[in-house]
Amino acid sequence: MSKSENISPGTTMRAVVRGDRDRWVKLVMFCCAAISFLGVLMIFLFIFRESLPAITKVGIPKLFLSTDWRPKSGHYGMLAFTFGTIFTTVVAMLVAAPLGIGAAIFIDQVAPDKVGRAVRRVIELLAGIPSVVIGWFGLILLVPFLRNLTGSSGFGMGAASLVLVVMSLPTITTLSAESLKAVPTELKEASAAMGATRWQSIYKVIMPSAREGIIIAVVLGMGRAIGETMAVQMVIGNASQATASLVQPGSTLTTRIVQDLGEASGVFRSALFAQALMLLLLSIFLIICIRWISRERKS
Amino acid sequence: MKGRRADKAATTVFWALGIIVVVILGFIIIEIFARGLLTALNPKFIFGKPEAMKPGGGIFPMIVSTLYLVVLSLIISLPISIGAAIYLSEYAKKGKLTSFIRFCLDTLATLPSIVFGLFGLALFVVYFQWSYCLMAGAFTLAILNLPILLRGTEQAMTLVPDTYREASMSLGASKWTTIRQVVVPSAMPGIITATILPIGRIVGESAAIIYTTGLFIRNIPVNPFDTAAPLAGYVWYAQTEGQGDYLRVVNGGAALLLIMVLVIYFLARYLGRKYQEKRLLGG
Repeated sequence: MSKSENISPGTTMRAVVRGDRDRWVKLVMFCCAAISFLGVLMIFLFIFRESLPAITKVGIPKLFLSTDWRPKSGHYGMLAFTFGTIFTTVVAMLVAAPLGIGAAIFIDQVAPDKVGRAVRRVIELLAGIPSVVIGWFGLILLVPFLRNLTGSSGFGMGAASLVLVVMSLPTITTLSAESLKAVPTELKEASAAMGATRWQSIYKVIMPSAREGIIIAVVLGMGRAIGETMAVQMVIGNASQATASLVQPGSTLTTRIVQDLGEASGVFRSALFAQALMLLLLSIFLIICIRWISRERKS
Repeated sequence: MKGRRADKAATTVFWALGIIVVVILGFIIIEIFARGLLTALNPKFIFGKPEAMKPGGGIFPMIVSTLYLVVLSLIISLPISIGAAIYLSEYAKKGKLTSFIRFCLDTLATLPSIVFGLFGLALFVVYFQWSYCLMAGAFTLAILNLPILLRGTEQAMTLVPDTYREASMSLGASKWTTIRQVVVPSAMPGIITATILPIGRIVGESAAIIYTTGLFIRNIPVNPFDTAAPLAGYVWYAQTEGQGDYLRVVNGGAALLLIMVLVIYFLARYLGRKYQEKRLLGG
């Protein structure tokens, strides 16, 4: 290409060739970027396509709004698992949100620079630990601990929620710390200059001005908790009942899919894909929430 | 002074929260290593053949599967990410189209990995009739990793000073020549650093691969269309099946996964620091 450029005589001619090539390049690069859209579209299409048999044969009310899960006799209600997902996520957030936001404040405001940086690194590392490893840790340590503590089997919604705390903590902490850091220094200085103590500055000035960022951090943490699969499957007990008791075994959408997909076929398999569709919808809901919150922040 | 006392109490609480986070991680690492480090470092375990029922199995084909999967998946996703990053940082103007692409990327980043796994199963394994194989897993993980890989690559490119581009253009280079010969080469160290995080995710990922790549094999996979069993998925499988001396396999496998992730993490930090030093020196 460069050779022909050297030979070609007229500058205008060269410019045309170049302009043409630049347009082609731009198109190719655009196609790369468009793959993200293609990916989302294909995921939707294929998950939907595979869950269609269950939707048409079982019907939306019996599939999405029933807690009756007996695949052997043709009952495929997933509500118990949707509830399990939401319940364990909410319980996990009750612990992970204060802990994560607190840790973020510690990193950004309270700790000396070196300590803060060290804790930040610890959290980054925690984010990288594979979920099977965390699940195994939960199984060998957390479950026996809960068994001794409560006299139950140890497997159940409580163990699952605690595992989810560990899984969502890094997301919440890192993103909260980022939004605390983004609070303008003038604001922090002004508050200190008015004679506020550190705690007063934190909860009267810094927290409110970082509020949307912290909320987004927690919502994204929820996203992680909703989607977490292996670690939860190892400790939740995998019962198909709907339960709001922390010591009772249950299931979430993700764990039910992993538990049953191996031996499922036909409508049963399709019903599991419908659960993936439900997960998709839950994630989309969270994304819309985040979009909405960040738009609020801008205006 | 009430304010002082509240401040002191709050400070104590925040220190406690910070310490709790560190203790959680320390606890996990110590517990996993205490149970599995000896097995994980045993050559017989690392280079041994897996056993489904009998005790004494190794995990060599699983380690090979994991590494193979990392390479294949990056071969697929890296060119796409670089291309998309070039589009977003060099060509795209702020507008509806760009923000739509970003919305799609955000969506991909939030979707649960099991959804990717089922998608891979439906598209690659069943619809394309590839059956369970490395290629199916690699494509699935390539889409899964696209958002973080793209974010890292794009950041590396936006960090290239505009003066470089202006200098190149003023010498008469076209936009594409500038990108190819100036922007991408100077962003390369950053791009390499950006691949480390996705590598860690591929090594640790299990939900997206168990129904695309496979769960158990006895022989080393050679062809990209061979069934494979990456380590993270196999550890989960061995634990669920509970056959033979699975406790040893799971303990050792978990410790080995942890070692891999730690190595990747420190490599990322080392490369990141080197890259930053280079940038500060203007090299």
